[in-house]
Amino acid sequence: MILKTTDLCKKYEHKDGTVKALENVSFEVNEGDFVTITGASGSGKTTLLLAIAGLIKSSSGQIQINGFSVNGASDRKLSDFRKKHIGFVMQSFALLPYLTAIENVMLPLAISKLKKGQKYQKALELLKMVDLENRKNHLPQELSAGQQQRVAIARALVNSPTLILADEPTGNLDPTLSSDILKLLKKINLEEKITILMVTHSPLAAEFGNKKINLENGSLN
Amino acid sequence: MNIRKLVWLEFKQHKSQLISGLLAIVLGIAVIVGIRSISVVSEKAVAVNLDNLGANILVLPQASNVDNYYSADIDAPTIPEEYVDRIVASNLQGVDNLSPKLTRRTKIGNETIVLTGILPKNEITSKPMWQQSGLLGNNLMASCAPTNTANQSSGYTDEKLQRKVIDSLGGDECLVGYAAASKLKVGEGNNLEILGKKFKVARVLNETGTVDDDRIFIHLHKAQALFKIPAQVSAIEIMGCCNAISEGLLGKLRNVLPDTKITTIGQIVSTQIETNKMMNKVSLIFLIIIIFVGGISIGNFMWANINERRKEIGMLRMIGFNKTVIYRMMLSKALVLGIIGGIVGYILGTLAGMWLGPELAGLPVKPIASLIGISLAISIGVCLLGALIPSYLAGKIEPFKNMQEV
Repeated sequence: MILKTTDLCKKYEHKDGTVKALENVSFEVNEGDFVTITGASGSGKTTLLLAIAGLIKSSSGQIQINGFSVNGASDRKLSDFRKKHIGFVMQSFALLPYLTAIENVMLPLAISKLKKGQKYQKALELLKMVDLENRKNHLPQELSAGQQQRVAIARALVNSPTLILADEPTGNLDPTLSSDILKLLKKINLEEKITILMVTHSPLAAEFGNKKINLENGSLN
Repeated sequence: MNIRKLVWLEFKQHKSQLISGLLAIVLGIAVIVGIRSISVVSEKAVAVNLDNLGANILVLPQASNVDNYYSADIDAPTIPEEYVDRIVASNLQGVDNLSPKLTRRTKIGNETIVLTGILPKNEITSKPMWQQSGLLGNNLMASCAPTNTANQSSGYTDEKLQRKVIDSLGGDECLVGYAAASKLKVGEGNNLEILGKKFKVARVLNETGTVDDDRIFIHLHKAQALFKIPAQVSAIEIMGCCNAISEGLLGKLRNVLPDTKITTIGQIVSTQIETNKMMNKVSLIFLIIIIFVGGISIGNFMWANINERRKEIGMLRMIGFNKTVIYRMMLSKALVLGIIGGIVGYILGTLAGMWLGPELAGLPVKPIASLIGISLAISIGVCLLGALIPSYLAGKIEPFKNMQEV
């Protein structure tokens, strides 16, 4: 088991009252799983992803990733944990516009102790893996949306994470490109044995997972 | 890829923002460097002029009257000549020349003349104390003015108005002031009988318009013998560096010779002090302005930059950049801004000083290398100060700003 959430709750205070974004969410994810989290808009999918990554604090409950307790960990420990164990793939790609494809892939390594050449080689291998070796010196605006997402996936892999958290990775892509990206994620999941937790509102994308979680008003359905 | 490269690439992306952010700091530094470049030259020029006035500190016995600086030594009580050695031995910075004197009024024929015994330079420099103190040669005559040559070129061009050091004076020789020579009707080569001893007039001094015109100068030890006051002097004149006087040389001398009265020409010191104060005040005012305006400008630039990059910073936090790394990135950026601002400001300020110096102070201004360090220190300090709050706020940006929904 790589991830376990127990009675996870997240409440927001609003002037109109308390909003329960997550309510007693408990589930387990095994190593190598491809978990898809589906649900209507506002059902708490991304909140769940953020809480798992330690990017927001849960109101109660427990989150354990590979034995590391996300709740209550300091900012420094959480940052360090994310750097070493988690890769992120976002709907908006979140690439830095002034960095080339290979520089964007190397970005998480900027705070690692690897040598310059090692960082470059690692990033280059990953760009090869996502078929973008020939675009390594291209800026994001010189790449198509699908290519940008592939760069983002390569960046998510550069620290050899144990868990990839993907938030609507195909949300900005057309169906053909979406399928390509999902196939790439599946390939990574199967070949690299990396666990993937993917938030999606697309039933088609959800089919790529071997385990499905459906959220409804913050609770598991 | 490392933090330094990331900061640099981001800089290149926002070149125009960088220039506008740097404008205030560059201009501020340029103004400070410009003022300082001109004021350093101007202070030196003032020092040269003041030094040309001659000795500016007088060491007198406690009981003497100092109502008139220029005649305070006449008929004054005496102090031991050995006090000269004490001053030399103290090795005080800013004591550029010493002249012990014994002055008494005396009758020559029907005229009352002021007779002053002086020690020529060649005898002062031969004292063992001078050799121990290392104040020989050029150092003896050095002053706060840059060089002796500069003294002459920048000071009084009329040689008559320059008070010169007497290099040598024989035991049977005398120097006669311009007015005294007229009164006594003597010229160079004539003999003069003073208190029963014959002296040859070695030189009639040029008219200076001071009390020196009425004096006759003989060797100090001869004067001591004539007046029967061995090893005593009525005053020690000191040529003190003007800057050193304004920085407390008089007090230090009083510590060396506590049983004497030490005075100076008030207006000389006050002129120097006022000049220094004015220049320092102007520089200080600009320093305060630059800290406020430059700091706010840099802070504003950093804050705008951070606001524009909130998503980017959020993403960096998400992929594992902790708050310290974010602070480091922001402060590195401020450091680079400070270095660029300091160097560009120094260059512009120096050029402005070189251009405006001759117009404003009538003096040629040269680049002052030491100002580059001060420029960098101020610029970096102001940039880091201005970037502190924005950097702190950047560190507090929540990583989830990038996520699709919350």
